[in-house]
Amino acid sequence: MSVYEFRRTVSPQAAAAWTPRQVLLTNLRAVGGRAYPRVHGLFREKSWVFFEVLLPFLSTSTFVFVYRALRAPPEYIGFVVLGGAMTAFWLNVIWMMASQLWWEKSQGNLELYFAAPMSIMSVLFGMALGGMVMSSTRAVIVLAVASLLYEVRFAIDQWLLLLTVFFLTLAALYGLGMMLASLFLVWGREAFQMSQLFTEPVYFVSGLNFPVARLGLLGALALATIPLAVGLDAMRQLAFIGANFPIGTPTPEVEALILVVMTVVFLAAARWMLRTLERRARREGRLSVRWQ
Amino acid sequence: MSESTDEPKGLVGLGSPDWGGFDRARTRGRGVRDVWGSFRTAALIGWQMEANWTDPVLFFIYSVAKPVSGALILVVMLDIISGGADPGYRAFVVVGTALWAVVLAGISGLAWSILDDRERYRMLKYVYVCPSDFRVVLLGRGVARLAVGAAGGVITLAVGVLALGVPLDPAAIEPGLLTLVMILGLAAIVAIAVLIAAICLQTRQESWSYPDAVGGALLLVSGVVFPLSVLPLPLQAIGLITPLTWWVEGVRRALVPGTPSSIGGAGSLWATTTGSLAPDAPTIVVALLATGALVTLGATGIFRLSEGRARDRGLLDQTTGS
Amino acid sequence: MAVPATPTPSPPAPPAIETRGLRRIYKVKPTPVIALEHIDLEVAPGEFFGLLGPNGAGKTTLIKILTTLLLPSEGTARIFGFDVSREEKQIRRIMNMVAGGEQSGYGILTVREQLWMFSQFYGLSRSDGWRRVDDLVDAVGMGAEREQRVSTLSTGQRQKMNIARGLLNDPWILFLDEPTLGLDVAAARQVRELVSAWKAAVLGRTVLLTTHYMAEADELCDRIAIVDHGRILAIGTPEELKRRVQRESIFRVELDHLDAGGAAALALLPGVVSVAPAAADGGPVDRQTVGLNLALAQDGILASVVGALGDLGSHIVALRKSEPSLEDVFVELVGRGFDDPDAAVTSGPGGTAGAA
Repeated sequence: MSVYEFRRTVSPQAAAAWTPRQVLLTNLRAVGGRAYPRVHGLFREKSWVFFEVLLPFLSTSTFVFVYRALRAPPEYIGFVVLGGAMTAFWLNVIWMMASQLWWEKSQGNLELYFAAPMSIMSVLFGMALGGMVMSSTRAVIVLAVASLLYEVRFAIDQWLLLLTVFFLTLAALYGLGMMLASLFLVWGREAFQMSQLFTEPVYFVSGLNFPVARLGLLGALALATIPLAVGLDAMRQLAFIGANFPIGTPTPEVEALILVVMTVVFLAAARWMLRTLERRARREGRLSVRWQ
Repeated sequence: MSESTDEPKGLVGLGSPDWGGFDRARTRGRGVRDVWGSFRTAALIGWQMEANWTDPVLFFIYSVAKPVSGALILVVMLDIISGGADPGYRAFVVVGTALWAVVLAGISGLAWSILDDRERYRMLKYVYVCPSDFRVVLLGRGVARLAVGAAGGVITLAVGVLALGVPLDPAAIEPGLLTLVMILGLAAIVAIAVLIAAICLQTRQESWSYPDAVGGALLLVSGVVFPLSVLPLPLQAIGLITPLTWWVEGVRRALVPGTPSSIGGAGSLWATTTGSLAPDAPTIVVALLATGALVTLGATGIFRLSEGRARDRGLLDQTTGS
Repeated sequence: MAVPATPTPSPPAPPAIETRGLRRIYKVKPTPVIALEHIDLEVAPGEFFGLLGPNGAGKTTLIKILTTLLLPSEGTARIFGFDVSREEKQIRRIMNMVAGGEQSGYGILTVREQLWMFSQFYGLSRSDGWRRVDDLVDAVGMGAEREQRVSTLSTGQRQKMNIARGLLNDPWILFLDEPTLGLDVAAARQVRELVSAWKAAVLGRTVLLTTHYMAEADELCDRIAIVDHGRILAIGTPEELKRRVQRESIFRVELDHLDAGGAAALALLPGVVSVAPAAADGGPVDRQTVGLNLALAQDGILASVVGALGDLGSHIVALRKSEPSLEDVFVELVGRGFDDPDAAVTSGPGGTAGAA
């Protein structure tokens, strides 16, 4: 059989009628396909080890030394270290996922993605998964080295809940990332600036370096809307049992439930938003206009 | 039109009045005028791109929220531990983070220009082959971002004064010192920006975060949010040869005299080495000049090397996304 | 004995492409741009259909609508019966697209990896994907470059890789948007040969090609629509379109000699429209020939002309047919303008076109 004769179906109608299994398999394969360049790119150009892992470790150390300068209780060092580790995932969501569709449009890939039969959510998830290699490396290095160097003492009782909260945080974060990706698709160039906006301001309201409940109403709002805030708060409570947390801080179990709700809501909203905003982008011709 | 009198006979036709002729003088350039023209044009382009937000409210929020949030993080950390009982240290961190907004914006400007032009606009190769000096064009593009950062820094300082209790007395400001350290400090920031730009010429599209990463690392050793004396001695030594440390110290000294020194203090490497608790103004200026000059020399050399390597390997017109 | 049931006739296969009143307006400032103006088009399954027109004619806009990347402002468009506005998922499963000058992909990947990544987007299994990619890479002549990074490919190599990407999922319809743009002669020919070979391998494959290279459209396309300013000016086979410009068959004949009155005698033959002297061929003085341009009502008249020349005692030294090119057709059509009633259309089999 010539290479040009391949996977023949009897009619275009038959070829277009995919079973749910075909749809699922295609989407799963698309995840792997899109993660591939991310993962292999990391091994082909290794400057990220220095810039994305070692330097951020120093950045986290800055806040450790701030607390040391203030003679803060030792658990605060642990809070900063945990916050520094989780920053990696937040940045992965913002830079490697949310604003990525805008990048793909600039490079001419976006229209090819939309012209292909897989779900764009698979592509986004593949991007996030691929970027997670870098993020995980960064998180592990920051956590392990900083904990050793700065003598952080973890006190963990409920390992299973801690791990569950961690994975729920990631799920909710990536759901949020998908929502943001759909918005960025429509915003165009502002997407890049918005990515910048989602760093320090979010670090502040998420309590990256301190218990978020210290922010009062603002902290409560963060707990209701930002997965990073909820997840970090819960993980701190589970990793540093016995530390003082402000009165009114929700328990880790409650925060885990909040994360579950966030995951479901964000993923459902992301699916709806991606479809709606794709349609809008198709109507306005934004899928293949660069330099917008 | 001028005709060269030493033109070989075979090329005489090029000087024909009918044709218009080849004017060798055009290849000579106009020196400083060209440099200024290139810089100004690049700065204008940079400003157009930086300020090209369709929603000015978003632009304002972005220019303000990012640096102000950075300051608020530290203020809250301070308040949690000390209960707000140390206003001097609060002024210390607010001034520091306001200045750091300028640093972060400044060091990212050149690097992002390279990545933008290479990956998005695919214009880098055209910019490179035009007669304008490539470094001048990059500098011009980066200056716009620096200006945005400076505005953010000023706003952060204003928020600090108005809302966070930073004791800024206009009568106590030392304008001479302030002007001098600002000029030298901005030059040092630009030098660091050139260094990072040199690196980004070699790296992938995902290097967008490298300037922030470098800024985050420098934050540790520059005495921005805590005195150097808190650090182990080797890190203090690194801080003392970093121009940004002297810049931050000088600006703090000039703006808010009486703020604790980030370089000196009991037990610091500076105090141990020199015997004085804090450097005086002339020392700050000289140290800033010396360390800035070192970084500038190093950055210039590394950029030249990077540029040569990029040309050799055809990196100027590649796209590298993943 | 049971009476055999009358077999139910199967419904006719829907057209590969069908548009009705298709319109697309871009809302830009200061004035909205009408990129497509009432396009009615029908392409049968198995056709190699060309859209020929200058830059800004609306070809890319039309292809973006048909490939579900853009919604029409008005009207409908269907691909094998599937509506581009509402059934984009089905369409994306059976089509693929390749554009000229495409710089998509990831420079850090090799050719093989890049194509494999796209194979995953079309649902091929991991191993099938690698196998398919290797087969296609060889078929498009990039075997030597399979492990080369995409960022190091030349323009021609990149486009061959893009063609391979377009064939990964064995589409029922392939959209080619100026696929030879920016390619040198050899690379462009290779691309055309690849596409032709692929189409010929299986009955029923449809290709929509947009191009502003007349010769390319002439060579590849079964039918062509000439587009300008968002309208279809004419549709037909290349021959039909050329006939619009030149209804007769023109032959240039070189004779060793022609007696006086010979040209007049030829002009009186049935089916001969005109006989005119042609310029001398500039050959050596001792071999001067007589050149004539003969306009005949149809090719078949040539036989009687040849016979008549023999009767006149003239020998034919050379005979050549000259045809108008599609460029002549385009210039003729575009130069007329839209208000000219003669810009109304000739229909080819199975096609319609929008009125000017």
